[in-house]
Amino acid sequence: MTQAIKFSEDSRDCLQEVSNVAMGRAADLLARLLDVYVILPIPNVNLLEISELHMALSSLEDSESVSAVCQGFIGSNIAGEALLIFNDTSFSDIAELTHFKGVIDKNIELELLMDIANILIGACLQGVSEQLDVKFSQGQPVILGQHIKVPELIKSAKKRWKQTLAIEINYTIENRNINCDLLLLFTEDSLSVLKDKIDYLME
Amino acid sequence: MALPIIICDDSSFARKQMNRALPENWDVDVTFASHGQEALDAIKSGKGEIMFLDLTMPVLDGYGTLEVIKAQDLPSMVIVVSGDIQPEAYERVKKLGALDFIKKPVDREKVTQVLTQYGVIG
Repeated sequence: MTQAIKFSEDSRDCLQEVSNVAMGRAADLLARLLDVYVILPIPNVNLLEISELHMALSSLEDSESVSAVCQGFIGSNIAGEALLIFNDTSFSDIAELTHFKGVIDKNIELELLMDIANILIGACLQGVSEQLDVKFSQGQPVILGQHIKVPELIKSAKKRWKQTLAIEINYTIENRNINCDLLLLFTEDSLSVLKDKIDYLME
Repeated sequence: MALPIIICDDSSFARKQMNRALPENWDVDVTFASHGQEALDAIKSGKGEIMFLDLTMPVLDGYGTLEVIKAQDLPSMVIVVSGDIQPEAYERVKKLGALDFIKKPVDREKVTQVLTQYGVIG
């Protein structure tokens, strides 16, 4: 059994800054794609029990209808999953910004979701891996659900590992009704390696 | 006399990183601020002729800080240091009077280049 890992405030702060830089790159790509200004939050970095996953989704209400994609990543003895969760009210604005004309059905929504997931997850992971000097390979993106409520989503996202390090980045787009949450969850077994990488960066 | 400068960022790691990226042998007196309001107070007490300013911060963010500096004509030359690399962010801070923009993560070469360009260091 792995022992519960503790992150000092300095380590947490360092990882928050690393996330900040990574999410900035991802936002830049999204901004250029949709020709908008993406409002950047302060990323939330928390070590939590997987049973407390809902706490990492602080910017989503339980009652909201969402659609989500997850994509695994692994490399340099670090593994985890990236989740991109869209508030369903976002899709009409995204379709408009991508100049999509026609009826927005579930398939179109899925396509938009996958496109944006590819951009945001890819750029964010690359930003994190470059700064920590690791290499990640990404798995296939998997749809976790469409038009589901947050508690349902959490149920389908629950993992076998107990403890996780969660980075939550809530992107909103200026003057648009677009809201999405990018969540990076690191496996329990990755935490000690991750901590070493952060310590090295802080030296 | 040492030049008073401010490094303003909510992350202590980012403040250290910025501090380490300052040109070697640059005679400065560094004040650290963890948000815009602290930075403004420091500028008002003459501690920030030059300021390295982050954008995304609690209490008062970088945009808000630049607005106050502009509105009150406070004596500080601001170089924004941010992970928000969207073209729009760059344009906005330039409009608000920032001298230049350095993308995070910072490195000494870029900092030196910007400071040289504006004649702050020889």
